[in-house]
Amino acid sequence: MDDIVAVEDLHKTYGKDIVAVDGISFTVKKGEVFGFLGPNGAGKSTTIKILTTLLEKTSGKATIDGLDIDADQVKVRRIIGYSSQEVGVDDDLTARENLMLQCSFHHLAKEKAKAKVNELLQTVRLAEAADRRLKTFSGGMRKRLDLASSLVSDPKILFLDEPTTGLDPQSRQDVWEYIVKLNRQGMTIFLTTQYMEEADRLANRLCIVDQGKIVAEGTPADLKAQIGADKITLRFKADDRAGCEKAKELMSKLPGIEAVGQCGDGLVAINGLEIMTKNGSAMVTQVVRTLDTAGIEVEQLNLSVPTLDEVFLKLTGKTLNVVERKEAMGRRGRRRGRT
Amino acid sequence: MEMLSEVIAIFNRWNKKLLRQPILIFFNLIQPLVWFLLFTQAFSAIGNIPTFRLLTGTSSYITFFTAAVIIQTIASSALNAGIGLVNDFDSGFMDKMRVAPINKSSILFGRLFSSALTTVIQVAIILVIGLALGVNIASGILGAIVIFILAALFGIAWSGISLFVALNTKNAETTLSIGLLTTFPLLFLSASVMPIGLLPSWVQQVANVNPFTYIAEAFQSLIINGFVWQKIEYALIAIFIVGVLSLGSSILLFRRKIS
Repeated sequence: MDDIVAVEDLHKTYGKDIVAVDGISFTVKKGEVFGFLGPNGAGKSTTIKILTTLLEKTSGKATIDGLDIDADQVKVRRIIGYSSQEVGVDDDLTARENLMLQCSFHHLAKEKAKAKVNELLQTVRLAEAADRRLKTFSGGMRKRLDLASSLVSDPKILFLDEPTTGLDPQSRQDVWEYIVKLNRQGMTIFLTTQYMEEADRLANRLCIVDQGKIVAEGTPADLKAQIGADKITLRFKADDRAGCEKAKELMSKLPGIEAVGQCGDGLVAINGLEIMTKNGSAMVTQVVRTLDTAGIEVEQLNLSVPTLDEVFLKLTGKTLNVVERKEAMGRRGRRRGRT
Repeated sequence: MEMLSEVIAIFNRWNKKLLRQPILIFFNLIQPLVWFLLFTQAFSAIGNIPTFRLLTGTSSYITFFTAAVIIQTIASSALNAGIGLVNDFDSGFMDKMRVAPINKSSILFGRLFSSALTTVIQVAIILVIGLALGVNIASGILGAIVIFILAALFGIAWSGISLFVALNTKNAETTLSIGLLTTFPLLFLSASVMPIGLLPSWVQQVANVNPFTYIAEAFQSLIINGFVWQKIEYALIAIFIVGVLSLGSSILLFRRKIS
């Protein structure tokens, strides 16, 4: 069996008329990082709480590793790990005590538990702070401990509810690193996020959810491909208008190019040209070679790929998270500069 | 076996948490002392009422009042049980426990037993303070042990009420206010502060159905008279009824709320 999670027509209604999850179906394959991307209130946390047996569904069917989440509740709990948005650790205890407590919840024998705790403390780089009470811990340290505590039972699948919400950039990087590492070791990971960048970087496949429904599903690349083409922007010397016109002519003849803009318009108002193509990274070399052969001097070349932001915007007609969007744009800008 | 180890783990967790809050320990200890000093000073003249001696068997109000201090302490410890649970809901720690393959009742029992242990220690301290203030325990060491046992059992039973409120409201302030609002009237509408024969008749009627009365009379008889088995029996019956109702409904509610 390839699927570790299978969800079919899942519904969750609070009270009479608040629909949190509105008939979603999806599967998670063994060994992948599966992302649930959506804004606040999309039903992400509700879904994760249902799958981790914390919340009862209204209707539908869901299995984890073939176990029914209702009928085999206890068995499900033995094979899952869960790290909530709230960071469920006890501030009055030390890091080690927190982990030992989790071990006892999973009925690990004392010696085994001790070894496991030491190993986990090393993994999340808390070995030195192990015997300090959490009151002195930073947000990032608490999150790392929380992650470690969801791993004491060596779960088959790890559920992470917005693992980096509220973390500083460095801690976010750390958490991403652990997620990638865990996944490389073979652990299936289901994560929810409202950050495009996070979904893009971590998820092998993802669902975009909005208002309790799945609006799109696929690999980040698939989803971005739905938006259409990559964009190559060329910039020429300000006085080399002829060069630009020549380039425009050459580009429109080049196979694989979908559309060529007008000289001077587009992103670079001065003397630039925008070219749309399906496969930007492969086309760049050809573009450069063609222009070089023709002796046209290019001052700057940018390749930009569609982002999940644009996917989300296209699918739902709204932006996901304004602050995060700006941040993501900034990062993309830097990457583009290096291309 | 698994459940036992779960309860022990959660019991230890709460004990550690309490030990690490010296301010909380301080106030838990200072509270009974304040009660002892305030009430016994203000009301010491009650001991001079001839009927008081007739009804209670002592003319020392402080001796009589020791039971009230114990009950007040049990009730306030019981209150903390519910508040601790609310904090676990708020911090997300509750979800962490729920998602583990443990018996749900272990979460409650671990909390209750830790709260009972705290109560017993507090009661021991009250008895020591009482001895220092001239209170003699007529039933001796064995009687003191019976007091500890009754206090622990009543503490567990009474905690059920704060657990029930906590599970319903999931709000610490509400749990605290409801707890305090029930504790004080019940204390004064029982035989804890005044022997039942000296209470106005409507208060007597309330006191007769108030569990605090039966617990107080058991403590009073152990401190003033020695072993009066009937009083202990009544106290156990009161504890049993309160316990079945409060713990029964809490466990049911807990299982339903967090299924």
